[in-house]
Amino acid sequence: MSPIRSILSIVLISAWSSASAETMKFEDAAGILGASCAKEIETNCRGVSLDPARLKDCLLRNQDSLSAQCRTDYVRAFDAIQKRLAARSAVAKICERDAVKLCGGIPKEGGQALECILTAARGVSARCNQAIGEAGYR
Amino acid sequence: MRLGKQSRLGMGLFIVLLIGAMAPSSSARAQASATPEDWVKQLAGLDAAPDIEVAALRQQVLERVKSKADGVTLQRPPVATQLLKLPRFAVEIKFDEDSAVIRPESYRTLGRIADTLYDPALLAYKFLIVGHTVAAGRRESNLTLSQKRADAIRGALVTAFKISPKRLQGIGLGEEQLLDAAHPTAPINQQFEVATVGKAF
Repeated sequence: MSPIRSILSIVLISAWSSASAETMKFEDAAGILGASCAKEIETNCRGVSLDPARLKDCLLRNQDSLSAQCRTDYVRAFDAIQKRLAARSAVAKICERDAVKLCGGIPKEGGQALECILTAARGVSARCNQAIGEAGYR
Repeated sequence: MRLGKQSRLGMGLFIVLLIGAMAPSSSARAQASATPEDWVKQLAGLDAAPDIEVAALRQQVLERVKSKADGVTLQRPPVATQLLKLPRFAVEIKFDEDSAVIRPESYRTLGRIADTLYDPALLAYKFLIVGHTVAAGRRESNLTLSQKRADAIRGALVTAFKISPKRLQGIGLGEEQLLDAAHPTAPINQQFEVATVGKAF
């Protein structure tokens, strides 16, 4: 394999795997924030509960007094929560056709169509499957 | 220096006791190892939608506290027996003292509750966050604090993890429905409960 070809295949593989990676569980994302920034939140953000907008704002305002760990991790944690939320709302849209075809309904808030897709043995489109994987529903 | 048989025995006993003291209590251990899958199982299986009016229930609890009825803690009956029939689990969430601010060490637990409520099997249901306190201090303050804390948990689940507000309600029971009635000041009484109350959609 020529070097250009192998580089290209590495790039393609890594792009594919990052695109289909499961987003982080809320438990893990929130856990990272709580563990890495406990001291900083206690010292600088007294009275602020688990409210992303207010917490982010407070940590940003106190950026200079944060430990390096907290500075990296709070951005990573909020970002992970955001990514999982986006992945979950994308499922309804991406799997709409599958839900109509396989389950006779659209994936609404109630989750029945989603449960139906998850239990469908075959016939689920690759895109819908990927969206479900990214959202962490499996 | 060689240790005598007795002092070696004493040292051994001391180490055993130390390990015992360091190990978390069985309930704390059970909670630390509880997974969202365990909680999903505990929340499933609501037979029929029970008739629970949260606003009326809040009023009922407040009236009992204000009238100073059932003054003796150890003989106090649970104030909302209908909640005891619901599928539910108890969980420890830490707050700043006398406040409704969730401590960072409990963020992980909040995330785990969110993961649980997003499980496809539970997406159609709504839940009640039930706050409790130990029986120490004023009953009325305990009632207010437990309500504020239950609301704070609901608020965090809605704002941080975007659980639909339609699916969650909070109620504080103060010290009116102790989780361990035989030990009114035991820390287990400060735990919260998440209970399935009906269909949301």
